[in-house]
Amino acid sequence: MTRILRSLRDGIGFDVMLVIIALSYLLVFAGLPLIYNVIISFQTVDVFSLGTLWHPNAGFDNYRAIFDDPLAGRVLWQTIVFTLGSVALQFTLGFALALFFHQNFTGATWIRGLFLAAWVMPGLVVGVLWNWLLSGDFGVINHLLESFGLIEDPVFWRSNVETSLYAVLIANIWYGTPFNMILLAVGLAAIPGDLYEAAELDGANAFQRFWTITLPMMRATIGAVLALGIIFTLQQFDLFAAITQGGPAGSSTVAQYWSWQLSFREFDFGRGAVISVLMIIVVLFVSLIYVRSTKAETQL
Amino acid sequence: MTYQIELDRVEKHYGRFHALKEISLAIPKGQFVALVGPSGCGKSTLLRSIAGLERITSGTLRIAGEPVNDLPPRKRDLAMVFQSYALYPHMSVRDNLTYALRLKGVSRAERARRAEEVAAVIGLETLLDRRPRELSGGQRQRVAMGRAIIRQPRAFLFDEPLSNLDAALRVRMRKEVRALHDRIGATSVYVTHDQIEAMTMADHVVVLQAGRIEQQGTPMALYDRPANRFVAGFIGSPAMNFMPGVIAGDGRAVRLALPGNPVLETAIAGTPGLEVEVGIRPEHMVLGPLDAPHAVPLVVSAVETTGAASYLFTEGEPELIVTTEGTAAIRADDTIGVSIDPARVHLFEPETGASLRSAKL
Repeated sequence: MTRILRSLRDGIGFDVMLVIIALSYLLVFAGLPLIYNVIISFQTVDVFSLGTLWHPNAGFDNYRAIFDDPLAGRVLWQTIVFTLGSVALQFTLGFALALFFHQNFTGATWIRGLFLAAWVMPGLVVGVLWNWLLSGDFGVINHLLESFGLIEDPVFWRSNVETSLYAVLIANIWYGTPFNMILLAVGLAAIPGDLYEAAELDGANAFQRFWTITLPMMRATIGAVLALGIIFTLQQFDLFAAITQGGPAGSSTVAQYWSWQLSFREFDFGRGAVISVLMIIVVLFVSLIYVRSTKAETQL
Repeated sequence: MTYQIELDRVEKHYGRFHALKEISLAIPKGQFVALVGPSGCGKSTLLRSIAGLERITSGTLRIAGEPVNDLPPRKRDLAMVFQSYALYPHMSVRDNLTYALRLKGVSRAERARRAEEVAAVIGLETLLDRRPRELSGGQRQRVAMGRAIIRQPRAFLFDEPLSNLDAALRVRMRKEVRALHDRIGATSVYVTHDQIEAMTMADHVVVLQAGRIEQQGTPMALYDRPANRFVAGFIGSPAMNFMPGVIAGDGRAVRLALPGNPVLETAIAGTPGLEVEVGIRPEHMVLGPLDAPHAVPLVVSAVETTGAASYLFTEGEPELIVTTEGTAAIRADDTIGVSIDPARVHLFEPETGASLRSAKL
């Protein structure tokens, strides 16, 4: 007993204990639900059987139902548009802002800090905010577009099937850009300044320095930011709930929202689980890219 | 004559901080110039100003006769070797060497040829495909040098390039850098805080303090005729001994505040009765018998020996250092007789620190 205690205090026991705590947390709160989710995707689960731990077997019925659903193709396409659109623009804007604030003008750090205000807001609040901004009758965005003469009649962003997905997309870009900016700013700050000075003396102009020094030196950070961006975008739920509820007519439904609708609106937990299983596969693949990027980072 | 690098009354301010004060310096083609001084003296700022990494506030900077005040670094055609080497970590040694050539649009074949050529000069032929992180400190240093010489620039700028190397390698690289300079007929400006590096490598040494040039000249001129007390104390190792004294006799002698108040006949003329600061280098204080004429009796407090020479530290205020050859059979508390070569004595005004000799000349 004293040997175990001493090991906990001075030896390797403490390290082992920390690892066990973290692993048990992961197992109980992430591992088991994940496995259970995979299991119920092969079962028939409705409101009546919800209370039992084990449900009737359904084989691949749930999977077949999802792939045969007329909504499936649209949801897949909308998920791709939403995810790639969000990540591409969040990344581009975030990188541009990070480079801008890297110029170290007076107050740069302060203003950069203010940008984080967007990121620390709860998603639902951001959603409500953008509801007002995007509102068809009294929204500021319509007002601006009209005063610049870009549109003649108000656009009903949220209730038009053509624009509803983009309404959420715009809000999400605004929401996620600061996070991209901060991670990329950290990456930029990690590049030693004398590399730029050496490159400058070697004859590189600003554009060449960006292509030959900044981008290659940022490769690991960029990989990590893009991977995290995809994962976070696939998790985005609050904005859909607050702005369009996936509508109208499914025109802004993405995979994660559809999964929620199937499980908690239609109480078909089996089909809801199918979508999360498919998403887990995608996220696992993206996580591999993330892990590889961070590994490259430590090697440099 | 047009100089390769010429600075005319160059000033640099950082806000209220006056970093460079009226720097005028002319470097002929092929010269090896060392900028030396204590940390914070402005030597790095001066080098970075020549490179264009810092903008000078006023004055004119010319490279090969052409004013370059407003030229960005990439248009000045200078190469710099950084203290940190600043190698591009994501590129192989070959790509590091040829980076500037690639930017200039030199063909792939020509780049490969020049890389091989330079690698042979710096002895890195077998390491061309390595990444910088796989190289030792000395090898990185060579790559940094190679990256500079491959461009055949108008001048080389060195910012304390040897200070990250261990002592033995530093001594070897000192010689190699100078040999390389001679072989390619380069013009070099070399910043260092180490006066031995400056003395051994340079044709022309510029001593800076607090943003001002204290003195410039050949290494031996600085050693033999320091213009002021600062240069006298900075150049030479161990540092020059200083002690108070009074001009005596007809003005061509000085009475030292040492035991026995010895009077030295010097070649320097001064006003009798004037209080001065007397400087004598440790190597110009000669150990001799105690009863020799003019021998000053001093008590030893500590002995340091390097094998080739021994440094005797004396008791009393100010502490003096006497250098003797080889290992001396002298221990702490021994009394030694020291005679001073009057011709090697330096006199300085106590307030300004200016050398009396140079004031009269």
